[in-house]
Amino acid sequence: MNEAMIRVRGLTKRYQRGGETLTVLDGLELEMQEGGFYALMGPSGSGKTTLLNLIGGLDQADDGELFVAGENLAELDNAGLAHWRAASVGFVFQGFNLIPVLSAFENVELPLKLTPLSRAERRQHAEFALELVGLKERMHHRPKQLSGGQEQRVAIARAIATDPKLILADEPTGDLDRKSADQVLELLGRLNAEFKKTILMVTHDPHAAEAAKSVVHLDKGQLKGIEEKRR
Amino acid sequence: MTKLVWRQILGHPVRSLLTVGAVFVGVFLLCMLRSVVVALNAGVDAASAARLMVQSSVSLFVSLPISYKERIAGVEGVEAISKWQWFGGFYQDQSNFFAQFAVDPVELFDAYPELEIAPEVKQRFLERRNACIVGEQLFEQFRDEGWEVGKSIPMIGALFPHPSGGAWEFELAGTYRSATGALDNRTMFFQWDFFEKTAEQTECGVFVLKVAPGADVSRIMAEIDTLYENGPQKVRTTTEKEFQRQFVTMIGAVPLFVSWIGGGAVLAILMACVNTMLLAARQQVHDVGILKALGFTDGTAFQLMLAQSLTLCVLGGALGVGFALVTEPVLVTLLGTFFPGYAITPETVGLGLGAALLLGLVAGIAPAMSSARLNPVQALRGT
Repeated sequence: MNEAMIRVRGLTKRYQRGGETLTVLDGLELEMQEGGFYALMGPSGSGKTTLLNLIGGLDQADDGELFVAGENLAELDNAGLAHWRAASVGFVFQGFNLIPVLSAFENVELPLKLTPLSRAERRQHAEFALELVGLKERMHHRPKQLSGGQEQRVAIARAIATDPKLILADEPTGDLDRKSADQVLELLGRLNAEFKKTILMVTHDPHAAEAAKSVVHLDKGQLKGIEEKRR
Repeated sequence: MTKLVWRQILGHPVRSLLTVGAVFVGVFLLCMLRSVVVALNAGVDAASAARLMVQSSVSLFVSLPISYKERIAGVEGVEAISKWQWFGGFYQDQSNFFAQFAVDPVELFDAYPELEIAPEVKQRFLERRNACIVGEQLFEQFRDEGWEVGKSIPMIGALFPHPSGGAWEFELAGTYRSATGALDNRTMFFQWDFFEKTAEQTECGVFVLKVAPGADVSRIMAEIDTLYENGPQKVRTTTEKEFQRQFVTMIGAVPLFVSWIGGGAVLAILMACVNTMLLAARQQVHDVGILKALGFTDGTAFQLMLAQSLTLCVLGGALGVGFALVTEPVLVTLLGTFFPGYAITPETVGLGLGAALLLGLVAGIAPAMSSARLNPVQALRGT
């Protein structure tokens, strides 16, 4: 039995909107194992992206416990969360979120600048990550010069450059055509299978969810069930 | 991070060029205007405490009898005395204006030991009846027009026309250099005796006194004023600083206005820079969100914005200061007549660069703080 990569206990997140309090996550209980590939599904407003942001340390919960990769995120301040993100998690976003003024290589190298690696080692790591996603020959291209699918693969290379245990993907195929989406899903599957990365992917797309080993269903901020896929 | 700072700057070339250009113009104006103000005050700032000026108590434009010299020189503590007469002529054309004074060479060198002059030039000046010396800058200005040692410089006497109806001919003995701002390097001095005899002059404009070290200046001033209390021509004795200040006072609030213009230019550019940097910060909200998601701290976001502001402003400032230095010789030629001490001093360079640095800091601090405070989730949404 694998260790729990993510352990959520009574997790609550509220937002203030127009003077009203909106409870997005309502005492959520959840556990995800290391090495898993999870698709997080649910209707709009069910709290999927909020949960992903909390697990990724981008936001903080109002209540409850959240242990990710062995760290209690509720105990970390902003700077602590930043350091934790740099070391423990890689993000893949729907809109790719590459920095437009940097080349593909420089985007991938960016998180490596937060590590104690030398320049040569950073270069080696970034090139390896780009090679893994099949874009080494495009490393000097700016995001504008790449297709959407290529941009997303660069974003995946950036997410794995520091070799984090956990990869969080928010609708990674949402802005892609079917062919590019399949390439991205195949890549995420490979990272999970070959490199033992734990992957949590928010998606609306049942086809994308097919790539995952488990599907976590959320509704109104609560867990509705976890569906294990047979392979 | 340095690479990202440069890429963000180069990624918006028009905005960056306009910002650098604005700072460049502002700092250049600041340096130029400050140099004008410094030039206006140069005589005041460099005035010697060991020199006093005796002029008519009525006005500087009223002359004093030369016969006063002996009695004034006899006052205890007066070490040297030099009579000066403003000539008010011009060379070839009225636009070629520069100061000219009739002086006794020996008296001049006694009263102004800081004048640097080659021994052979000094000798020629002392020996030749119609000799003159000119400041180095003045010589350089007219060198191309044929000014040469040993040659004659024809001067039209506006206040003192030559009896022949033609020009005064002064033989150029050489140049001097003033080590202080009390005298500029754009003045012509010629032989008193030649002037006195030719113009049949019996009066002079002012007496310059050099007082003995340790002498009681206040007493000397009071004693000289008392000498002629009952006329025939009352005198007013002032320190050299006070004397120089009256020329600055004559042009009223111009130095103050010039300072305001310089300050106003910098303030206007500051507001433009703040606006530009706030715009840059808004445009980079998403990028800051990405950086924070990757694990960069609030401090890095702060530095990213501040570094861009500082880079743009310091670059513009350095160009402005550089341009001020490069154009200094041209402006000395163009403005030297009115601002003889015009020079971009190391203090002005420091002021220009300091102003640019301050601009960068002030313009960048608010956008930097707003970037640092961004919540990564909101920043990624671009809100």
